[in-house]
Amino acid sequence: MKILVCAKQSPDSTVRVKVAGDGKSVDAAQITWAISPYDEYAVEMALERKDADASTTVAVVSLGAARAKDSLRQALAMGCDEAILVSGPGADALEGLAVARALAKVALEAKPDVVLCGRQASDDDQGLVGAALAEALGWPHVATITKFAPADAGAGSVNGIDVWKEVEGGHEVWRATGPVVLTVQKSEKEPRYPSLPGIMKAKKKEIPEKDVASLGIDASLPRPEMVKMEPPPSRGGGKIMKDGDAKQTAQELARLLREEAKVL
Amino acid sequence: MTPPTQGYGAIVLLVLALGAFGAAAWRVVQLYRLLRLGAADDRADHLGQRLRDELLIYLGQRKLFKRPYRIRGLGHALIFWGFLVITWGSADLLLRGILGRHMPFTDTVWYQWVLDLFAAAVLVSVVVAWIRRALVHPPHMHVAAQGYVILALIGSLMLTLLTFEAAAVASMRGGPSSVDLMASRPPVAALLSPLIPASAAIGVFAVAWWAHVATVLGFAVWLPNTKHLHIITTIFNVGLRKETPRGALALIPDIESKETFGAATIRDFSWKDLLDGYTCTECGRCSDSCPALATGKPLDPQKIVLDVRSQLLTEGPKLLVDPTAATTPPPRWVGSKPDELWSCTTCAACVEACPVTIEHIDKIVDMRRWLTMNEGDVPPEAQRSLTAIERAGNPWGQPPDTRADWAKGLGVPTFAEKPDAEYLYFVGCAASFDRRNQKVAGALVRILRAAGVSFAILGTEETCNGDPARRIGNEYLWQMQAQQNIQTFKKYGVRKVIASCPHCFNTIANEYGQLGGEYEVVHAVQLVKRLVEEGKLKLKDGEAPRELVAYHDPCYLGRHNGIYDEPREVLAGIGGVEVVEVRPHHRERGFCCGAGGGRMWMEEPVGQRVNHKRVDQIISVRDLMATDGATVSKVASGCPFCLIMLDEGVGAKGVQEELKPVDVLELVASRVEVSA
Repeated sequence: MKILVCAKQSPDSTVRVKVAGDGKSVDAAQITWAISPYDEYAVEMALERKDADASTTVAVVSLGAARAKDSLRQALAMGCDEAILVSGPGADALEGLAVARALAKVALEAKPDVVLCGRQASDDDQGLVGAALAEALGWPHVATITKFAPADAGAGSVNGIDVWKEVEGGHEVWRATGPVVLTVQKSEKEPRYPSLPGIMKAKKKEIPEKDVASLGIDASLPRPEMVKMEPPPSRGGGKIMKDGDAKQTAQELARLLREEAKVL
Repeated sequence: MTPPTQGYGAIVLLVLALGAFGAAAWRVVQLYRLLRLGAADDRADHLGQRLRDELLIYLGQRKLFKRPYRIRGLGHALIFWGFLVITWGSADLLLRGILGRHMPFTDTVWYQWVLDLFAAAVLVSVVVAWIRRALVHPPHMHVAAQGYVILALIGSLMLTLLTFEAAAVASMRGGPSSVDLMASRPPVAALLSPLIPASAAIGVFAVAWWAHVATVLGFAVWLPNTKHLHIITTIFNVGLRKETPRGALALIPDIESKETFGAATIRDFSWKDLLDGYTCTECGRCSDSCPALATGKPLDPQKIVLDVRSQLLTEGPKLLVDPTAATTPPPRWVGSKPDELWSCTTCAACVEACPVTIEHIDKIVDMRRWLTMNEGDVPPEAQRSLTAIERAGNPWGQPPDTRADWAKGLGVPTFAEKPDAEYLYFVGCAASFDRRNQKVAGALVRILRAAGVSFAILGTEETCNGDPARRIGNEYLWQMQAQQNIQTFKKYGVRKVIASCPHCFNTIANEYGQLGGEYEVVHAVQLVKRLVEEGKLKLKDGEAPRELVAYHDPCYLGRHNGIYDEPREVLAGIGGVEVVEVRPHHRERGFCCGAGGGRMWMEEPVGQRVNHKRVDQIISVRDLMATDGATVSKVASGCPFCLIMLDEGVGAKGVQEELKPVDVLELVASRVEVSA
């Protein structure tokens, strides 16, 4: 089986994101970048297939700034066979639909049996690219999956893929024939820890780069635009009531909740 | 005494002796060749200290006498010292029997008396040891048939020795005989001699003598095939033990050029690890003291050592015959025991307890290195902490730009602001990010200010010292963290470092030197003690009521770095405070809080939680004191991880109001006198 994983690089969850001076983007200084968590699950899920069947090949593609190469190396260190970077001027500013169209070109060239995406990216939480990619390719799409496996374990090409999908109170099993796009909720195991030999090997691996301009994406298509970005309001300090007996404190608390906090 | 080897006797004895020692030597050579399969490990340093160890630990049997084994230790020491004296005598018997010559001193009255008394003492000790094994089953001692046979052999050696000596004394009753007079009349032999009729004395002497010599030779053949080999290997194991600080793990030099990491096969362990295996006597003292084993975890430190030995003895010979066997899949037994390996808190209770200086932690970490770096096979929570260190520079994954937030409003300068500061206060991740421990950092700042110490912090330029990564087995990450800190230290010309966390302290003081970072490092408690002694820090006298404070020894202050007295002296120097020992688990027998070795960030689903057991121990001491009307109201420690674990423990036991965990520094800071 041939799997293509689409992985986006986004700020690591340990980073405290700050709004940049323009008021509509993230301050890129001092950000540690990492594979977006759902995409990391997608990488892990692909590698779990590879563990089960050594003939599986896993390629990973990332579209974005040149620094996304570091995240691709992380995926290679985890065990992916090859990585493709789609970059170039403006690559990190593309919005979801354009990204999906660009990735579709890469997928058509790579001819995978399965394309895996995370269900949504941790930075914009749009959840668009996976579904839009399926649409652009004209392939079926199953969302929020937790597992997939070849439906027919017989030799040769894959005849069908069974897909486990989480729903309220249980799960469904779907069968897809032909190539399919799956968006991942969670892998069975936590994303694996790259071994040191894996890291060293990944360091030496060649990562081919495609210029996003060469993919012929029409930039004149209608697109939404970010207007404003604001952090949540900072939390005010709490109030500790120490004085007075229990009855007084309770009365004071009720008064504060009604008059100041206005929740009663 | 004339040995009964007239005529062909001497020749028979010569043949027997050559055969026995030949067989023993063959086995020893084989064991040595197996040992050479191990990886290199240079132990040619600290020669003076090694000599001292031989005298104190081997000859002096010092570690045998540790609490709570004093009586049992005496039994062992008597057998050991007796063995030294008697082996001299055995050599003498063989020399006399074969060549008619004798060993020095053996004709002297004092030697014969010493020999006689030790033979009796050994005999008594052997009987006691036998009874103990048979009736009072020692919890973790590996008691097998072999142990009884060895005891029986030692016993029969003593019995035959005393018998032929008694016969020699008895033979004197009938006047001069062909047996030389035992004119020295050693006391035990003299006491036994009336049991032997004078007429039968010469016959009894000959039979007992030959029986004794035959036992000696038989023992020599069998010994290298048993755990009793330790009487020889201990000489080397003690003399070649790690003389670098106990808390320092070995560096993997030039790590980027290596292809495999840590230990998975017997070739990956060092020859010293293999020698440890030969030396283990299966006494179980390491297991007795292991907090993981005591709380129902699958780890048994003794088993780790014995597993290495059994791997060597089963797989090693194949490798000796066919060195290319290395290309076939190696015995990957390490991968089959992750739960054992991840249970270790690296508290060093086992290392402390081992009478023959076996190094358990280094093996466990070496196997963790293989799991972590080679296989990427790490418990998920440990993996999260490693990834957090990689990405955020702290194992909790807190935003790195908030590292110095605890110091906001305290006016603590960074080195960038105060480049001429004398000391760097290396805050550490716990005191930087954990709310409870941030108060300890604040307390230290108050103390340093009051004593007029010139210091600064690195602020957001500080990053995790790497200790958790190294102990989880990610040496590579440790090296990256250490190098980053060393670079920052260099940038500011840091020479003196204060650490309030024993893990930071241990790594910077004992391990950064491996990468060229040499500093004068003190734990805050050591510095406080010095400041008080120098009169720079004045503590208010206790108009406060008498307060009983239990002291919990952090492993990385105590066992790993020998800092037992300073925290106690600092506590005792606070007016009104009286230190309570958590007996018997105090000082070098301190019981781990459960957070070392990276366990701080791992779940503990199996067995009792280590910190709960520790809190139980503290509560039982408190309850015992309470029967005398004394109230232990606090438990003090000197480690942020201990503080977190104790806090959780007293909470779970519902005693958080009556038994408050604190850091020693907080108690000091509450009594600091701030001069104008």
